[in-house]
Amino acid sequence: MRAIRRLLASRSWRKFTSNRLAMASLGVIGLYLLVALLGFLGVIHREDTQVRVLPDQTPGFLEREGFTDRATDARWYLQRTRQRVDRALDDPEAYGRLMSELALAERTVIDVPLEEMARLLEAAEARMVEVDAALDVRDEVLDEQLEIDLALQRLERRRGMDPDERVARRAELLDERATVSARLPAADEAGIAAVERVKEAIAEFQPMPSGLDGLWYGVRTFLGSDAQGRSISMKALFSVRIAFQVGFVVAVISVIIGTLLGASAGFFGGWVDYLVMYLVSVLSSIPTLVLLGVLVYMFFGHPLFDNPAEHPGLALVPVYCAMCLTFWVSTCRVIRGEVLKIKSLEYVQAATSIGFGRLYILFKHVVPNTAHLMFINLSLLFIGAIKSEVILSFLGLGVKGQPSWGVMISQAKDDISVYFFWEVVTASALMFGLVLAFNVVSDALQDAFDPKHVS
Amino acid sequence: MSDAPAPTPPSSESASPRPGAPPSGDAPGSSAVSGSGHARPPRTLEPILQVRHLTTRFRTDRGLVTAVDDVSFDVKPGETLGIVGESGCGKTVTSKSIMRLLPDHVTRYGEASEILYRGRNLLKAGQREMRQVRGNGIAMIFQEPMTSLNPVFTVGWQLEEALKYHTSLGRRDRRRRAIEMLKLVEIPNPEQRIDEYPHQLSGGMRQRVMIAIALCCEPDILIADEPTTALDVTIQAQILDLMNQLKERLDTAIILITHDLGVVAQVCDRVQVMYAGRVIESGDVMEIFHRPRHPYTTALLESIPKRGARQHGARLPTIPGIVPSLWELPEGCRFQERCPYKQQACVDEEPELVTDPDGHARRCHFPLNMPADLTVGGTS
Repeated sequence: MRAIRRLLASRSWRKFTSNRLAMASLGVIGLYLLVALLGFLGVIHREDTQVRVLPDQTPGFLEREGFTDRATDARWYLQRTRQRVDRALDDPEAYGRLMSELALAERTVIDVPLEEMARLLEAAEARMVEVDAALDVRDEVLDEQLEIDLALQRLERRRGMDPDERVARRAELLDERATVSARLPAADEAGIAAVERVKEAIAEFQPMPSGLDGLWYGVRTFLGSDAQGRSISMKALFSVRIAFQVGFVVAVISVIIGTLLGASAGFFGGWVDYLVMYLVSVLSSIPTLVLLGVLVYMFFGHPLFDNPAEHPGLALVPVYCAMCLTFWVSTCRVIRGEVLKIKSLEYVQAATSIGFGRLYILFKHVVPNTAHLMFINLSLLFIGAIKSEVILSFLGLGVKGQPSWGVMISQAKDDISVYFFWEVVTASALMFGLVLAFNVVSDALQDAFDPKHVS
Repeated sequence: MSDAPAPTPPSSESASPRPGAPPSGDAPGSSAVSGSGHARPPRTLEPILQVRHLTTRFRTDRGLVTAVDDVSFDVKPGETLGIVGESGCGKTVTSKSIMRLLPDHVTRYGEASEILYRGRNLLKAGQREMRQVRGNGIAMIFQEPMTSLNPVFTVGWQLEEALKYHTSLGRRDRRRRAIEMLKLVEIPNPEQRIDEYPHQLSGGMRQRVMIAIALCCEPDILIADEPTTALDVTIQAQILDLMNQLKERLDTAIILITHDLGVVAQVCDRVQVMYAGRVIESGDVMEIFHRPRHPYTTALLESIPKRGARQHGARLPTIPGIVPSLWELPEGCRFQERCPYKQQACVDEEPELVTDPDGHARRCHFPLNMPADLTVGGTS
């Protein structure tokens, strides 16, 4: 407690808190931490990321503009309901089960007798006729437009025609095209209105949830859905937890290993130093990603650690192992250098001259003086681990059986060409925000708390 | 010839547990090179530390270099021994050899070297044995007060840590004792200062804290390696005063390493002058200051600015030349290049450290200022 009060009263703390960018970033990290906590507490559950909430590849808050896309969505709701209602008419026993299959997370189907459900569905389908009519009008207009366009092309190609006549004919065709095109907005507007009416009818048997459920459903659908209709926002938010889990575990273990080995190497010198630095050189001579890939690959097919269906928690162990085995190297090198410097300082000799043992001096007097490096390395490795996790997952070597930013990017990367960019952008933006905020904060921490600047 | 100021003999004698057995290093042949203590014992106090033929060599890229060559001296309880010399003459290496603070893998001690503390040879002691001696038996104050305290812990933490290691005091007692120690070294407002970090203290205060830490386990011997070099003059005087008081109060023997002859005159009982790894003169402080026998000591004393010297219109005398490199020591006397009294014998043969009958030892064929009742030093 006293230490905390002293920290809060210190100049370093004031220097840190007066850095606005750092404070904003700290707030951002706080938000991420909150989301990660929600993930750890099970509020955002792994299953939330696996249920269907919308039609496939819906853009969420961007809401599709076009009438045809909206019509397709509406038809999707009707068709899947029709399928199940038809099957229930054949097999009334299965009615309850079939209807519960229709639920889109909080948006469940109302509990009414089959006849009532069939009636509501038919009412909705009846309104779909208006939509179809609007679609027909639209098709007609488009056909006529196409014909006029073709006529225009033919006109340009025709040879031996009087220029005046060609000009007159062209103006005539363009006029015609304008009048035809003018019908399209009205038709689309009518169509959209018809779609809205269909949606109202659908809401009769599958109402939008209200209250807290409605809010939660809003969160789910906010960023749209992926290729299987799963909520992108849920996947992205659950990935925060995965990222923090991987980052924290890897950073803490790597810094502990790195500090122990680096401090021993620097302090004891001799064969300890030789051995540790040999390991460091060997590990840093291998490209990190290749090494990570190989280490993860060693666990492939393992009944415990490569079995996400049964042990989703253990599926991350290969990632932890691979990163801890490679990430301690940077910390080790930095700590060793610092310890080499510190051990020749007078206070270490003074501690020896008081009669303390070597191990005691190492851990009580030398290692605490490298604390600033440990903290900086902790934040750097946290970020490094998250980035590596994303890359590994993208390559299919990392997280399995649960979402992660890397998995999301990997799954959605092929769909960018059809303008389905929400998933990639969401995952990248969340990762970018976290990395940026962390870097800003760790820079500010170093500025404020490096003992060399303080004393 | 004044004697060492009397410490409190009865308490220290009863505190010394060793029965009167003389150290084994006191072999017949070594009396000529041994320190002055044996020739004319002023009291019956047993020396608490006996350094015999200490030779410290370092392994370097250019081969072995001898930093300290055949140094012998005794320290008795309550006595202050000054070790004086220019930079690089081996003062600090001597003190660090006693504490065994030199890195083991590059340091070689001579075969005849012995450092006897209460009869134990520290050069042969294992790590565990050394740890018992350090702090409890021999403590050390370092030259640089800025880096001698660990910056990440409070002053009190560092004091209490030493107490925790060496005493069986409880937590509260340790804190009370730490405050007492800070009071003892005259740090104002110790109750508040104890919770401050080293960077909140001034250089002089840090040096006092260092002294407090070194003294808190009540060592028999305190080695002070240039304790005042980094401090300004008024603080220097305070620190020296403090060390004098503490010596009298706690009956601690002090080995004071310095290049400042003024400091030596102020606090030391005996002085040992070193040059290029060798002891060249040792004896009573008044004797050395008034009648230095080695030309180097003489030159050193002459190069101190004196009050009134300006009226004579004289330039401040200096010692010409530089200390010889430890790799290229001359044959014969090591001071010959810079000595105004150099003769052929000085080039041919290095003089032994001869102890004159009055207990004053010098390493010179042709000593100066010999008292009339002593035969002027012929060699060998």
